[in-house]
Amino acid sequence: MALEMRINFTNILCKGTLKNYYLQGQIEGFVFQVRLSYYRGHFLSAIDKFGLKIDDEAIPQKDILFCLNDKEFTVEELKNQSNEFWNILDPATIKVRKLGGLKPGNHKVTLELMLRCPYLPLPGSIREHHYAPINSCDEQFMELC
Amino acid sequence: MSNIKLGITLYSFTKEYVREELSLEDCIRKCAELGVDGYEIVATQMISSYPYISDDFLTKIKGYEYKYGVKPISYGANTDRGKLHDRDLNDSELINDTIRDIRNAHNLGCKVVRAQYLLSPENLLRIAPYAEEYGVKVGIEIHNPETPSTPIMQRYFEVIEKSGSKYIGFVPDFGCFATRPNIESYEGALKDGADKNVLDYAVSLKRKNVPLQEAEKLLREISADPVVMNSFYSMYGYLTFYNEPDLEGLKKILPYCFHFHGKFHCITEDGKELSIPYKDILTTIYNSDYSGYIVSEYEGHNNQERGLVDYDSVEAVRLHLKMERNILEELEKNNLAGR
Repeated sequence: MALEMRINFTNILCKGTLKNYYLQGQIEGFVFQVRLSYYRGHFLSAIDKFGLKIDDEAIPQKDILFCLNDKEFTVEELKNQSNEFWNILDPATIKVRKLGGLKPGNHKVTLELMLRCPYLPLPGSIREHHYAPINSCDEQFMELC
Repeated sequence: MSNIKLGITLYSFTKEYVREELSLEDCIRKCAELGVDGYEIVATQMISSYPYISDDFLTKIKGYEYKYGVKPISYGANTDRGKLHDRDLNDSELINDTIRDIRNAHNLGCKVVRAQYLLSPENLLRIAPYAEEYGVKVGIEIHNPETPSTPIMQRYFEVIEKSGSKYIGFVPDFGCFATRPNIESYEGALKDGADKNVLDYAVSLKRKNVPLQEAEKLLREISADPVVMNSFYSMYGYLTFYNEPDLEGLKKILPYCFHFHGKFHCITEDGKELSIPYKDILTTIYNSDYSGYIVSEYEGHNNQERGLVDYDSVEAVRLHLKMERNILEELEKNNLAGR
């Protein structure tokens, strides 16, 4: 039984937020913002999967930073952030290291973001620590601002 | 003699809040407009400084209380047992999280905390002294598919009764007394293209109490479409219904109830909840010594957009309160007439 929850009230990939970012006059990469697709916030440790493709090309995890509450986490560090709360109204900023950044125009952004619902054990499961998955994935064409 | 007060859980305005069409202040203002003086706040949803109450947030809430005459009366906690990546929270961690929720509720001036069944009866017993210390009652929510008489809730009942504590108990959700599929599971499924005959067959399986695995097999044998299957899982799970509402079970636990979630999905044109027998439930509560709030909890956030109802969340809550007030006024009239 593939029970997967998807509760969605707003855009996940936030329109108008895809930009290149600079350091010392050089484009070091690009950023965009993401809203959690649910009705309440979650601790970052509830994130089970995080993956990113730009224009169908997978971005290496080592080049991704998940930025929230004035902090920056690697994808691998997310699972240990059980004290870092992602408020439902707050966008997270995804920062991707890519020297030269993105070219102007539209880019296909494919976000894989799956969470674990920490208060809903999966009905009928006998395994421990087995919870209903929350689907916060999205795929959009975003124009570079 | 009962003393029932009507309030609203701000969760009812989830869609508008998440879309930033209503701010927290707007939600509280809506409570004032709808004529209630108390609200429940879901901590993980609307407390911006979660999991703590910052001075800033407290000042805002008290400011709104002063402005609108509407105060937070219940703190909706989540028992996030699965929040760590590699294991469940242990008892000590669950207890400490719950104590923090109790402290937060106390700081906000709430007299009630809604906790969830993952806490465990033993842990509920362990936090009772803290609940008493802070003057906050902690209630385990009885939510579909549980009812007051299901095994888990029976275990809680035994522990609560034996403890003698006035600070631990239950928060029943009216949805657990539903007697037919709700509008999303039935009318919504039809709108999404479910085959009516197959859907009715799925409903009949639930009515006949056919066990889940067997019912699932029967439906797959007739190639039930995905819309029907989706509805089927809801009807056996978090949106389930029973032929008879467990009102006897409710009567038994009423001495240990200090808060209710007035769950609803759809108020019909003749002022009734489509799938939940409000008159019967309210009569049972009215005829007890219950003193506390029933907070309107709208769960049909997408119903207007799906074309299932023609009113928005605020109007839905208004209709719900009107229904409750009519029923309670009728009960009061009959009560006085009976004297």
